Amino acid sequence: MVKHWCKFKKPHKISITKHIHAKTSARKYDVIVAGAGPAGLTAAYFLARDGLDVLVIERGPYPGAKNCGGASLMAEHTHKLFPNFWEECECERVITDQSYWLMTEDSILSSRFQSTRLTAAPYNRFSVKRNKLYRWLANKATQAGAQVLYSHTVTEVMFNDSAQAIGVTTQTSDNNIFLADIIILADGANSLLAERSGLAAKVTSDNMSLYVKETIALPSAVIEERFNLLPGEGTIIGLIGYPTAGFNGTASIHTFKDSININAGMAVASFAQAGFNPNDLLERIKKHPYINRLLTGGKTIEYGGALIPEGGYHAIPPLVHSGLMIVGDAGSLVNGTHGINLAMWSGFYAAKAGYAAKISRDYSAKKLSLYAELLEESFIIQDLKANAGAAKLMRDLPYAFDLYSRMANETAYQVSKVYTMPKTAKRKMIYSKIKSMQPLLKMASDLWKTLKVIR
Amino acid sequence: MQLQDKISLIKFDPSDTMQHVAIYNQHSCTNCEEKHCLTICPTDVFKWDCHTDSPIVVEYKQCVECGACRLACQFDNILFFYPPGGKGVSFREG
Repeated sequence: MVKHWCKFKKPHKISITKHIHAKTSARKYDVIVAGAGPAGLTAAYFLARDGLDVLVIERGPYPGAKNCGGASLMAEHTHKLFPNFWEECECERVITDQSYWLMTEDSILSSRFQSTRLTAAPYNRFSVKRNKLYRWLANKATQAGAQVLYSHTVTEVMFNDSAQAIGVTTQTSDNNIFLADIIILADGANSLLAERSGLAAKVTSDNMSLYVKETIALPSAVIEERFNLLPGEGTIIGLIGYPTAGFNGTASIHTFKDSININAGMAVASFAQAGFNPNDLLERIKKHPYINRLLTGGKTIEYGGALIPEGGYHAIPPLVHSGLMIVGDAGSLVNGTHGINLAMWSGFYAAKAGYAAKISRDYSAKKLSLYAELLEESFIIQDLKANAGAAKLMRDLPYAFDLYSRMANETAYQVSKVYTMPKTAKRKMIYSKIKSMQPLLKMASDLWKTLKVIR
Repeated sequence: MQLQDKISLIKFDPSDTMQHVAIYNQHSCTNCEEKHCLTICPTDVFKWDCHTDSPIVVEYKQCVECGACRLACQFDNILFFYPPGGKGVSFREG
């Protein structure tokens, strides 16, 4: 009863607090978001739309300057947050073709799904260039009333005596303190802010993957012809086996309007163990007979590298702290090939929790834990939990991608090859070939381990 | 295509006042046999002339700020920060 009375006494108009704090030396915001990526900008958009005073601080000179690789946007996930986003966001191609290639040095065994059902609204996936996607999100956030400050690197989170986050400092000499009731860390994979504020342990080389990408310009008509696409349609190809030279990792090809991205990467620990440069992987893939023909005549226009958190559920640090929430890649919220959608939704949930905290004037970890609860109930944590064992499985079976791609290709080769020997003898030969590559019991145990993890 | 040609395609605006990647203690590197930093960097920031006495040179101006070196270093001997606002790499193609 008393609690309700207290609540009633407090002013509910958000604008009132602004005037009180405007008199202090540093301006105080309701929320400061560190990092203008999908997670931070989505949080900023929804908070600003709910009437909060939001400042986004980004270290790059424009949105998307500091990230590269990929990328595709999941239509349903994005559509639920930003209805009919395809009318506003400049997407590159509608993905109507999704393929996986199990590769060896001279062969590919592929699975390919194409459907005209994917060509119309509400679509399934789009290929997007990061700078265009981020710029669109930044515009959404600014239109909703958030401020985005570029070319400012957040260096530190400030805490008060009771360990509640109260603001951030940036590197610039003038006016380098920004205060807020709520801080949202959206500074991406390798979140130095969370680590150096003591909110998360240092990420390990097992849980982080290093990806390199190369953007190769090709005329759109050539892309459509080579990948068998209609104008405006695109494909995403996952490449498994050969691209990562014996280690567990992945590569992919994303088609854009008039360029394609080749990405390749694996765990930082695997790169360290392998002792080759990430660029060597890319160059090796580009020389593969079936990849080379897709790239002929193309001109490399950009090269880059980035980290992706791939530790899964067990690598997620505590996401809610007093006055602070961690969203997106900074919170290790990446599930396999899904990252941008998880980032955006985590930003959305953080916004909801931030709004509820603002209304009750309570920024404690307990109040903000609504964010963790929303995550927990959503596809984000549910799916991450379901795949929780995947990262460990990849470490336990370091040969899996390479060996099983080889075995699949070998089997496919023998099945396709026509021999003069009788069919039963051929089957026996194939069986003994497979057995010679991996003992049957080991294969069964690997399969069992994999089935246990994939839920 | 050589790696150096690829690096020249990336847009960099390096800071003149702050070196954001550095080796903390070169002595630890003399004891380090693997020297993962020399191979893991996508843009070859770490260079060494293979003489035991020579230090590892850090060409921070061509760093793409992925931060992999910091994780790969066994001796936790690489200082890594993000460059001052607006400086460093700027990707344009996503």
